[in-house]
Amino acid sequence: MVGLSLVHPFPRLQRPLAQTSKPVVHVFLQLDAKSSVVEKTLQQHLPELGIVVFGRFRDFEEGLSNGHPDAVLSIAPVLEQRGKTASLQGQRGGKPTEPYLLASVNQPLEGSLAGKTIGVVDLLGRDGTQAFVNGLLRATDIKIKRVAKIEDLLPLLEFSAADGIVLPSSMLGRLLERTRLAIKTKELPGGPVGLPAVAVLNPTVRDLVVKSFQNLDVPTKRLLGIDSWSVQ
Amino acid sequence: MTVFNARNWRMASLSTPLLLLLACATTGGEPGAGAAILPPIADPPTRSGAPTVLIAMPNSPNFVEVRRSLVSEVQKSFNVHTVTVAPETTVADLASAIRSVSPVCVVLMNNATMNLYRQYQTANPTAAMPPAVLLMASLVEEVQARLRRATGIAYEVPGVTAFVQLRSVISTPISRVGVVYRPAFRAFVERQKSLADKEHVDLISASVPNDVTAAGLREALHTLATTNKVDAVWMLNDNGLVRDAEFVDEAWRLELNDAKLPLIVGVPNLVEPNSPLGTLAVVPDHEALGLQAANLLFDLSENDWQVETHPVELPLSVKTVVDIKLVRANFGLRPDALKHIDKALE
Repeated sequence: MVGLSLVHPFPRLQRPLAQTSKPVVHVFLQLDAKSSVVEKTLQQHLPELGIVVFGRFRDFEEGLSNGHPDAVLSIAPVLEQRGKTASLQGQRGGKPTEPYLLASVNQPLEGSLAGKTIGVVDLLGRDGTQAFVNGLLRATDIKIKRVAKIEDLLPLLEFSAADGIVLPSSMLGRLLERTRLAIKTKELPGGPVGLPAVAVLNPTVRDLVVKSFQNLDVPTKRLLGIDSWSVQ
Repeated sequence: MTVFNARNWRMASLSTPLLLLLACATTGGEPGAGAAILPPIADPPTRSGAPTVLIAMPNSPNFVEVRRSLVSEVQKSFNVHTVTVAPETTVADLASAIRSVSPVCVVLMNNATMNLYRQYQTANPTAAMPPAVLLMASLVEEVQARLRRATGIAYEVPGVTAFVQLRSVISTPISRVGVVYRPAFRAFVERQKSLADKEHVDLISASVPNDVTAAGLREALHTLATTNKVDAVWMLNDNGLVRDAEFVDEAWRLELNDAKLPLIVGVPNLVEPNSPLGTLAVVPDHEALGLQAANLLFDLSENDWQVETHPVELPLSVKTVVDIKLVRANFGLRPDALKHIDKALE
């Protein structure tokens, strides 16, 4: 029996509200779980919504253009790049943001980062991700290596293919759990970065979408990396 | 406990897909490539003044998936011209395509395509060659050495990646991993040792001759399990070690059944709860490989296409298939492991 399916490269649900009779929510987050697991969990806990989880930026971008979702769940930089405003902001420990870290092997990357290669998950496309990392590091002459998934950052360090990697502080525990490398970190000066937030694009379904996400149980919110929501 | 099922069932379930998949791993073909009917590949509209990247590849699913991801990344910066390579494609066909689009770079997918390109280079010994990026072929480092102006991304999943994945799935400790190899894989295995060492894994290797018998292979596996006391075994994607279902049964299945060690494999078909053998399959993530190839193209273009100084990269991204039933029965499933597995079978 197949317990979990492989993540589909293409979104499986791109129909607008009229066809599904459910508001469609596109989700693009880098979490401590496979996209298929996040999608299945959200679909189970939000049966009144049509949930599509994207594991990769390009698929998310394509889905946003062609799928006409009623709402989007992602982190602030992704929503801002698209000119979307959050209706519901996720929080953890009472804060709507989290620090981002620069992780490296054996010693923290101190001093000038000029010419360094930094690994990062592709959240915003080539130019957008470069600008995002430049802002976090307060540097302009770094070279980024984009990876598709958060777990692909570790091989960059194992293969010495990058001098350091950028990741949300909430992902550090999972990284340390996976590796025996001596990981050192420092908090990035250009942070913190917003936690997952919901932007409602179709005002007619705002109340339903907001209430549905507000009613998520504790484990599901934890899966999303938050513990509460605040209405914006 | 591992269940040992009827042999004829195993033959039926394993032989064809296994052999096709292993052909993929070692020769660059693809399972079902002959049978799959895919639509012709359509390139994005050409833009005047943009440099062209020529992609030469078979028109079969995994290659198409890598191309799709690659093209989605590079199409804003490059025109893309795709040449479908089939068994009947000749060097002249490839040469004609190169002449007609004058690419700034060629992307070559699979060993057969690279062999054609090598013949093209041999036939034009003094001509300037466009830089080449090699993808989805076995032992890309060795192919690179036989070509002028080439770099690429290895297709074999590094052992360390597989070992870290296994650690994140099973509870039993993994600090010594055994691998059996034939001479063609000697350099590959040696490279894996230093990488594995970074994650505190000792890779214990055992060489066997090219014409190793099932009994000889079983003996090598037995020595790894009993004398070297490895915690897990890593099966290389080498046709010579996985010739057919009978060979698999007589060497791998018999020994692993006795030793009760986790087996890491490189093809999903060897992970089958109804006929247990592989514990974990670690396979390339083709969509992510397309992104990595795009990054490589951008890097090269920013460095004036100096491919000679760019070493072959290792693949960064994988997908995992796990026999959860086998893991639970023999090795213990780590908490939260299911969140991190692409496909869990039981």
